[in-house]
Amino acid sequence: MVMSLFASQEPTNSIEWTVFLARKYSDMFLQGTYLTLYTAVIGTLVGFLLGYLIGMVQDLSINPEDNIIKKTLTRAIKWICSIYVEIFRDTPMIVQAMIIYYGLRQANVEMTPVFAGILVTVLNTGAYMAETVRAGIGSIDIGQREGAFAMGMSPVKTMLYVVLPQAFKNIIPEMANTFLTNLKMTSVLNVIAVQELFMAAKTAGGNYYKYFESYLVIAIIYFVLCFVFNKLFGLLEAKMQGDEDYALAVEYMDNQ
Amino acid sequence: MGEAILSIKDLGKSFGNHEVLRKIDIEVDKGEVICIVGSSGSGKSTLLRCINRLEKQTRGKIYFHNKEVKDIQKDINDYRSKVGMVFQSFNLFNNMTVLENCMLCTRKVLHISKEEAFDRAITHLKEVGMAPYINAKPSMLSGGQKQRVAIARALCMNPEVLLFDEPTSALDPEMVGEVLSVMKELATTGLTMIIVTHEMAFARDVSTRTIFMDNGYVAEDAAPEELFGNPKNARTREFLSRYLAG
Repeated sequence: MVMSLFASQEPTNSIEWTVFLARKYSDMFLQGTYLTLYTAVIGTLVGFLLGYLIGMVQDLSINPEDNIIKKTLTRAIKWICSIYVEIFRDTPMIVQAMIIYYGLRQANVEMTPVFAGILVTVLNTGAYMAETVRAGIGSIDIGQREGAFAMGMSPVKTMLYVVLPQAFKNIIPEMANTFLTNLKMTSVLNVIAVQELFMAAKTAGGNYYKYFESYLVIAIIYFVLCFVFNKLFGLLEAKMQGDEDYALAVEYMDNQ
Repeated sequence: MGEAILSIKDLGKSFGNHEVLRKIDIEVDKGEVICIVGSSGSGKSTLLRCINRLEKQTRGKIYFHNKEVKDIQKDINDYRSKVGMVFQSFNLFNNMTVLENCMLCTRKVLHISKEEAFDRAITHLKEVGMAPYINAKPSMLSGGQKQRVAIARALCMNPEVLLFDEPTSALDPEMVGEVLSVMKELATTGLTMIIVTHEMAFARDVSTRTIFMDNGYVAEDAAPEELFGNPKNARTREFLSRYLAG
């Protein structure tokens, strides 16, 4: 039995077929894993940046004392941001991928499927993260800001040094979630011909008409990837919690 | 009287239809230690928050060294860096250590060097007896320790006026003492202080002037011996009699 698993002749059952396909198309699966990770990591990171930016914009307050240009401009930017967030949260990613890729091609903008895939992931992540960041900022006690304002810190510096670092820590679990979702959601990008894992399984399975076994291979790959990243994020979160202990600065103990 | 450092003229503040401050006129001279007392809801804290511009007044003006504090963010930041504030709920930055709390604003607002910011922080933390705790995060400190750090943090800015908004109200009786003694010490250094408090004995002993607020007005503004010994206003008498009876 063990020998037959590695035999090169025709496989006879599902387990053998799974192993056979995984071996035969190992290059394709590896390439798919690489593209899946590449798209998910870049898309998520840039998406986070976009999300933070928009989350901060949505948190801007309009000061009635400001001049009319600044007020109008702030309102316009906030308005555009909320429309963007609404559109991308209310449509499926697979449809966004089709519209962006084929829409831009129709407008004579040439791009590779991978670039389009990353773009869709970024825009999608940005919309969800904007809401997460906004909620994260809102969860920080207003006293934290007032403490900084009361000493003359500007609203922007207060956001950067006091509010965001605390909000960031609070939304790490949600950021991890978003990344794992993205890792799995890249599978829809096969509709615009990104050669990621789903596409690899479709191709490998199609050649032998063994779809169950072929998708089993990538199910295992997805599972291992997500499992590993989940553990990594858990470690990161524990690290961000920081020490529960502190060392007394004994050099200052006596001369008080 | 000395030079007026802070003048509050005809100040009014409403939240919707609710008028919290009706007509406040106060002149603060350099070196004065003013305690503001009064029942809850009389507008004491709102007045202090208006002075620091955390609330925007609906009427009236505030002058700092005879110059109006205008509604321009840069001017407000500049003004706030000279008029510090200590809060009831401490408001230490939770993501930073004690030392970082004391250095952030001197570095980012006053733009002083790291060495100088460190020296200032240590000097003021020593004054409040918190220097050994420079590596602690706020969550590891007791309420009284947090408030002493908050006072040190405010002092690092070298403020001309320091506002205290019920600094001991969130503390248990044992910790009230440690914070009040730090403030008593400060009062002797010539720093101009405006303190909203419910600690009557402290107000009587430490202030150079006591203001009794009632219903959005300054009901009585007098030397502490006068206000506590021989109050002129009927509401002041009523308020104090309850405290002294208790």
